[in-house]
Amino acid sequence: MSDTTRVLEVSGLRAGYDGIAVLDEVDFTVGDEVFAILGANGAGKTTLLATLARLNPLMAGTVTFRGTDISRMRAYQSAGLGVGYVPQERGVFPDLTVMDNLRVGGMFGDRSVSERIDEVFAFFPDLKRKLNLRAGTLSGGESRMVACGRALMQEPTLLLLDEPTAGLSPLYVSTFFEAIRRIRVERQVAIVVAEQNATQALGVADRVMVLSLGQKSAVMDASELTTEQLKHAYQI
Amino acid sequence: MVLDTFLISGLFHVVMLIGLALLLHLQLGLSRIANFGVVGFWGVGLYAFGVLYVRVDWPFGDPIQFVVCAALATVAAGLCGLLVGWLIADLDVDGVMVGTLGFATAVALLATTEQDLTGGALGMGGLRFPYDTGDVAVNELIWLLVLVALVAGILAYVWLVHRNPYGRLLIAIGSNEPLAKSLGKPATRTKLGLFTVTSALMGLLGAMYGVMVRFLEVSSLGIELTLAAVVGLVVGGSVRVLGAVVGVLLTVGVFDIVIQSYIPLPADWYTQTIPLLREVMFGLALILVLVFRPLGLLGHMRRDRLMKRIHGA
Ligand SMILES: Nc1ncnc2c1ncn2[C@@H]1O[C@H](COP(=O)(O)OP(=O)(O)OP(=O)(O)O)[C@@H](O)[C@H]1O
Ligand SMILES: [Mg+2]
Repeated sequence: MSDTTRVLEVSGLRAGYDGIAVLDEVDFTVGDEVFAILGANGAGKTTLLATLARLNPLMAGTVTFRGTDISRMRAYQSAGLGVGYVPQERGVFPDLTVMDNLRVGGMFGDRSVSERIDEVFAFFPDLKRKLNLRAGTLSGGESRMVACGRALMQEPTLLLLDEPTAGLSPLYVSTFFEAIRRIRVERQVAIVVAEQNATQALGVADRVMVLSLGQKSAVMDASELTTEQLKHAYQI
Repeated sequence: MVLDTFLISGLFHVVMLIGLALLLHLQLGLSRIANFGVVGFWGVGLYAFGVLYVRVDWPFGDPIQFVVCAALATVAAGLCGLLVGWLIADLDVDGVMVGTLGFATAVALLATTEQDLTGGALGMGGLRFPYDTGDVAVNELIWLLVLVALVAGILAYVWLVHRNPYGRLLIAIGSNEPLAKSLGKPATRTKLGLFTVTSALMGLLGAMYGVMVRFLEVSSLGIELTLAAVVGLVVGGSVRVLGAVVGVLLTVGVFDIVIQSYIPLPADWYTQTIPLLREVMFGLALILVLVFRPLGLLGHMRRDRLMKRIHGA
């Protein structure tokens, strides 16, 4: 990571629920790269991403996005700056069709919506055949693609993906990671992805951070992560 | 020409309820704001109009006095919408229902206790049409037509919302609010704006009703109006543009006009039995629809079409 491209800087982050911290003193910096967050169930990956997306309050610390302090912002404000968020669950608007999910995502940009929809199809061609279906009727994998496509419609420069492949078939998992890699390269979007599929994630990630409860999180290059460290992170 | 004033007031009631159900469609059907206090916002418009029109010494007469009072009544209901909407913004469905129901109860209570202003339980007269043709029935007919024009306007607005990005945003907020918050525009503010505008229009409908009956009664502030709007909307299909229209016609329309006007019911039924019968029939209609066509009479059609598309028929 070069020093000139600090997309996201997190320092001293404390976050949790109802005044009880789940995460404390989390520090890391994300550049123009794919940054993976690994950790066992309950390690706080979702909490971290929702906090970065400004849907959870920050109890302490700062989050800086491309030079702007977003620590006190609301979700719509940071989204307006270019932070795209795909939650782990409920990532689509079930009452809207696939087409309208994409349109609603593209509501606030300047560029033509249909042009952006075509770009989404370039990453997720399968969506073309589902356009008129209500998003609530889609399979798990399809709705992840819609969720991701909807976020792309907002033309983010940072994409937060919370376990985009959890519970999906191996073929889908590799298709999806290929899409992530292409989005990173073709759209110049920095990507932070929380994952359980460690091997797959390490395949596309430049760097990883391992979250484990009650421990200082470690950031390292993806290639440096040892099996030992992985096992430890997942408490196996 | 002989005009049946019973029929005119029956039609007025039906058209007004179509208007209320259409507004509720925007709140409940699209944005999933479970407003069970429809009568509260309507009542604020009704009473604000009545009190302003009758109790205040305006330096000008009709029609200016009338228009000013109607506008102020609309604004008053809108402000109540803004306040209530802000209070319920982050509540779940149960909270919203209780909150709006509580608001409607408070409105009825205030109208009853503030006797000096509202006439309390005795009611208040002194309202009149902003014109006079010399014939009450003709006056009422004209007023009915004014209401039809207003409700047609509301229908056109609803239709437009459905064809607009704004409508999509409302559905998005209604179906997944946390996600809508990360869309890049303030979801809560959008919802609040919608609730304010629709509540204001409910108030305007209340003001128009006051003129039609020319007498304010606290008994009109009961739950019946809310129930009629909710039942009509759900029976017709709460997510469809025409759901409110069809549903209200099939419930309130059929009962208040067809049954009450054309079926010879014993005269002594009118005070007690008919209102009760009405609630029972509405309740029954609601149960039948929820069991056999959960999306409402029109809602089902959309699903059929969807199924056809899925199976390529
Ligand atoms: N809404 C909530 N209210 C209170 N506590 C919560 C809430 N959501 C999560 N937690 C707690 O925060 C901790 C971290 O949860 P989180 O969902 O962030 O973990 P995760 O790493 O995303 O797990 P998974 O891999 O299962 O998705 C857990 O102990 C959980 O019980
Ligand atoms: Mg999680």
